[in-house]
Amino acid sequence: MKLVCIGLNHETAPVEVREKFALSEQGLDRETKELLEADDIGEGVVLSTCNRTEYYAVINGNGDVKTLEEWICAQRKFVGNLEGLFYYHEARGAAEHLCRVASGMNSMVLGETEIFGQVKKAYQRSLEQGATKIVLNKLFQRAFAVGKKVRTQTGIQEGATSVAGASVELAEKVFGRLNGSTVMVIGAGEMSRQTAQALQSRGASSVLVTNRSFDRAVDLAEEIGGTAVPFDGWEDELEHVDVVIAATGAPHFVVKPRHIEAVRRKRKFRPLIMVDIAVPRDIDPKVGEIEEVYLYDIDTLQEMADQARKRREKQLLLCEDIIREEIDKARLPAVND
Amino acid sequence: MEIGWLVIATLLASAGGVFGWHAIRKGSSSRAAFFWMLGAFVAQLMALEWRGSLRGQCPLNDVGEICLFLAWSMTLFYLVTGTTYRLSLLGTFTVPLVVVLQVTALVPGAFVESPVRVETVDAWREFHAAFSVLSYGALALSAVAGFMFLVLNHRLKSHHFKGGLVYGMPSVHRLVTAMGRITMVGWIVLTVGVISGMKMEGGAMNAHLLVATVTWVLYAVLLGIYFVRGLPGRQLAWAVLVLFIVSLLVFAKL
Repeated sequence: MKLVCIGLNHETAPVEVREKFALSEQGLDRETKELLEADDIGEGVVLSTCNRTEYYAVINGNGDVKTLEEWICAQRKFVGNLEGLFYYHEARGAAEHLCRVASGMNSMVLGETEIFGQVKKAYQRSLEQGATKIVLNKLFQRAFAVGKKVRTQTGIQEGATSVAGASVELAEKVFGRLNGSTVMVIGAGEMSRQTAQALQSRGASSVLVTNRSFDRAVDLAEEIGGTAVPFDGWEDELEHVDVVIAATGAPHFVVKPRHIEAVRRKRKFRPLIMVDIAVPRDIDPKVGEIEEVYLYDIDTLQEMADQARKRREKQLLLCEDIIREEIDKARLPAVND
Repeated sequence: MEIGWLVIATLLASAGGVFGWHAIRKGSSSRAAFFWMLGAFVAQLMALEWRGSLRGQCPLNDVGEICLFLAWSMTLFYLVTGTTYRLSLLGTFTVPLVVVLQVTALVPGAFVESPVRVETVDAWREFHAAFSVLSYGALALSAVAGFMFLVLNHRLKSHHFKGGLVYGMPSVHRLVTAMGRITMVGWIVLTVGVISGMKMEGGAMNAHLLVATVTWVLYAVLLGIYFVRGLPGRQLAWAVLVLFIVSLLVFAKL
């Protein structure tokens, strides 16, 4: 009885190859069922996300990980070059790899949390199909416990690693909770959408969208559940706004000190966060000299994200220690035997 | 043992400070500081009870007693606001002040060794002294929140995010709200102190009462501007900090 893991991810395969191995939800169920019908396979879990496809299996008899690789390629009808495409892990190596994946240590964005739910869902589907028994049940339960421990006892998920996340972090540093806050988005591009949605996910209740082309403002407002504001009327709305995100393609400053000065008294000098993610910049840097305005441009946000990434990388050794320790303690079948 | 309570209070507050700063360095807010200060508060009460029994009146007559009472009132307001606004980190900034006051009280000579026990007590005088010092506990805490705001504001405006300080501190909004509310509490308590002072035996306006009244008026103006017109956080922070320090220095000169 051998525990094996075989897979490919964003580090080993380009997107045009990854998409050939990616599986839909229905495809996952079918694949799991067929995996169990293959020779020598006793248990199996298939994990498929946008960045990885992995097979965890218990092989009985004479089969090995190469047999499984051939089976996968036949299933996907893949005939390209296999060199360096797949990574393989056996026994303890497979267990440690699963723990790294569940902890977000193997993700494109180090420490991201979504993968934990995706692993859990993959395991749940296999469990419901009766594809897991003592080895994989114990292994996955342990991996979930390790994943939680790594996230709570290390700084692997601390700090924002994206521009949108850094904007949210700064807004929370000024306002605490964002519940009930109002966000104004100037410019209806992709970065505006991402940042506005990140703020919404943390409680921002109202989003105003303005753009030179009003139709695009309406489209984005509809998409994110906000309200479109005509471009010649955005200044009037500043009175009620807590966070401004500026991301237009304008070659000159759109927001100037006079715009803020005009509403300071009406706002009772409440703090105002201004995030300028446009290049060239949309907000005159002099706006940041106004006492209650906290102005951040794309370089500051990028630097924050880089710092957070470095802090997370420094946590990796600590995470590895936890994984080793937990696998040692676990006495998992086909791992510690 | 009597002076021992003050030593214990100082040790407990110092421990709270050490744990608090350690938490800041790690980038988290210190919940432990609250419990250390709670212990310090109990020890302060015991020390105040000792001085009160000796004098037969509110212990606010020598340097040691005033420092001890001020440290006690700051700790009291910290415990109350710490729970309400969850400004646990405020304790870390408050603790050094509390420790300094208590160490000053421990300096030989700060306490009159055998104070004369009073025969009769003027209740209004006692009220005036107690409420005035109590209000200064709140106003000191508001000044601490102001100081914290200035530190955080400078870091956020100049984009200095390295180190745990920025991440361990309460938000700008929370600090501004705390400054406004704690100053209001201090001003209300000071109002009771000033009214009690006006009802003291003799009824004449002495220098202490005059300074207390002027301080009361200045805080009233500040609160009026803040709540009615609004005030940028930085200006409010400087105002509560400067008003507290200047009025304290004037009282010390009297």
